[in-house]
Amino acid sequence: MGAKQALEAIWAKRAKAFRKETLPYFRYMGQSGFPAFMSLLFISSAIGYFSLIRNLPEQFPVTAAGVISLTLAICWCPLRTWLEPGDTVFLMPRESDMGGYIRRSLRHTSIGCAILAGIVLLLYLPIYRQGAAPNGAWPLTLAAAGLKAGNVWGAWRERRMAWPGMRLSMRVLRWALTALVLSVWLTNAAWQAALFTVISCLLFMLLHRLPVRHRLPWERLIFEEARTRKRYYVFFGMFIDVPTLPSRTARRSYAAWLLRFIPYAGRNTFVYLYAAALVRTEIGGIVVRLLALGCLVTYWLADAASLAGWGAMLVFVLFTGVAAVQLGSLRHVHRYSVWKHVYPLPEKQRVDQYALVDRLALLVCSLLLWLSAAIPLAVAGLYVPLAAGAACALAYIAIRPSRMRRKLQQDAEEE
Amino acid sequence: MDSILQVNGLTGGYSPRRPVLHDLSFEVKAGEMVGLIGLNGAGKSTTIKHILGLMKPHEGVVLVDGTTLESDTEKYRSAFAYVPETPVLFDELTVEEHLQLTGMAYSVKEDAYTERREELLEEFQMLPKRKAFASHLSKGMKQKVMIMNALLAEPPLYIIDEPFLGLDPLGIRSLLERLVEVKGKGGAILMSSHILSTVEAYCDRFIVMHHGKIVAQGTLEEVRQAAGMEARGGGSLEDAFYKLVSRGKG
Repeated sequence: MGAKQALEAIWAKRAKAFRKETLPYFRYMGQSGFPAFMSLLFISSAIGYFSLIRNLPEQFPVTAAGVISLTLAICWCPLRTWLEPGDTVFLMPRESDMGGYIRRSLRHTSIGCAILAGIVLLLYLPIYRQGAAPNGAWPLTLAAAGLKAGNVWGAWRERRMAWPGMRLSMRVLRWALTALVLSVWLTNAAWQAALFTVISCLLFMLLHRLPVRHRLPWERLIFEEARTRKRYYVFFGMFIDVPTLPSRTARRSYAAWLLRFIPYAGRNTFVYLYAAALVRTEIGGIVVRLLALGCLVTYWLADAASLAGWGAMLVFVLFTGVAAVQLGSLRHVHRYSVWKHVYPLPEKQRVDQYALVDRLALLVCSLLLWLSAAIPLAVAGLYVPLAAGAACALAYIAIRPSRMRRKLQQDAEEE
Repeated sequence: MDSILQVNGLTGGYSPRRPVLHDLSFEVKAGEMVGLIGLNGAGKSTTIKHILGLMKPHEGVVLVDGTTLESDTEKYRSAFAYVPETPVLFDELTVEEHLQLTGMAYSVKEDAYTERREELLEEFQMLPKRKAFASHLSKGMKQKVMIMNALLAEPPLYIIDEPFLGLDPLGIRSLLERLVEVKGKGGAILMSSHILSTVEAYCDRFIVMHHGKIVAQGTLEEVRQAAGMEARGGGSLEDAFYKLVSRGKG
């Protein structure tokens, strides 16, 4: 077997190993209520979509919707390489033979992303046709395919860049330029849009010649691979205990200031640690994104007084539940830390302090979600659903600490 | 001098059927620095884990500040600070926040904490990194954070496992100066290290471990004697150590 074939065999072996590793977790996910929840979400989205395209409001922002949805689908270009930290020792000496390996990664990931972009385009076309629609479906499809290919190329070049600041700038430029080109395609004649696209692409390619690049960005690829794996495990962690992978942290100054208000005292040691973990690990990031989305959807439904206010409350309960599941993973943070055993603090104190952080966090999340429904519903005079939602949330928050204590106890017994 | 750490007849390991440590007995007194030395796999880290209470002895007893882990867990744990061989930090905390967490955990008074924090940050050249996250620090810097945390707590006993790994020369000097200071104030130090010249220069007594047993312990003279060398002027700790661990090789 030649060196290049051997490397491609490593690629295939690693891809297979990852599938084998994650298969049991997919099974656990299947056994949970998640598929049913997703089916429900899919069905309700499908109903919403078809009623939208059947009765598209006159003021519907056809172009803006197209630019946003297509930009997201076209610009998102992840890359699975299966590379690991040890590869800088074992595979790096064979860098000159890595072309086939990387091409296989690009092919593997791009096909899935292209299919996703195709689905988004297919969903958008019926909406597009009800607007000005200066171009037919085929020119748009060709343009989208070309843009997707350009984005895959651009994303790969960004990964190779030596300086993170330049990488970020070029990524912002790629996303902005794609959005601009898409808006031109959606509002102008094909020949004008094509001309604009060619000029933009040439300029973009010219710009890409400037930054200093690695031949193969080992560290970047290893970092991205680790991040992707971590995301898979964060997702699986919602259904079953998963191996602890090094967590990514972010400064999140907009929330980290809260740590300064935790009084300096032995009784708050674990409050401080769990609060920092909540704010700065991926759990915090996911909860913040979830809250932003939840508040937005709850507000929309409350503003439209959907189902006499009960629609907003249903979504409020749903998002509070999902936030609670996410917050639950906080108990796994530092589960195996040696300091838990070394610090001169009783175990009960750690459990109580964890329960306190968990309860406060859930209270804040549910309060923010509830408030985004409360204002429009109160204006509309719909108080009953509001009170029912608040009662549900408060009842759950009241019983949650004992549930979490029981889970911690189970974890400790398993250890 | 009071005995801060007492290990009596300790036999232990990961499985009761296969003990790694065999009948270890030693003590570390207040104002004393004791070097724990041995080859890789001699049982140094396992001994430390037993002292920390992370492993249960099969036989024997470990007393820290006169108490066992079972009789008074909080008193036992608050009597020592630990610097592990590999830095174990919380990725989501900054250097300064690690110090605060340690201060809170060991109930260091707030005024004393603020004062010691500034001293330590300056002494270990970590002032520019005080807001840096642990995940963004080099290995040596992480080790400095571990050492600073141990020194901040000011407990009666310091258990330090391979503290010099990755430390820069200034860091090593700061640590050694601090340990001498700690010793002067009556602190007890049990330090495991492979840098025998440093161990010889700074420690008052030595425990030489080999295959899970103590093959010699005491002052340099006593270790030399145990190795079959002349007690006075008969070679360095390294020479004595080499003789002790190469016995039986033929």
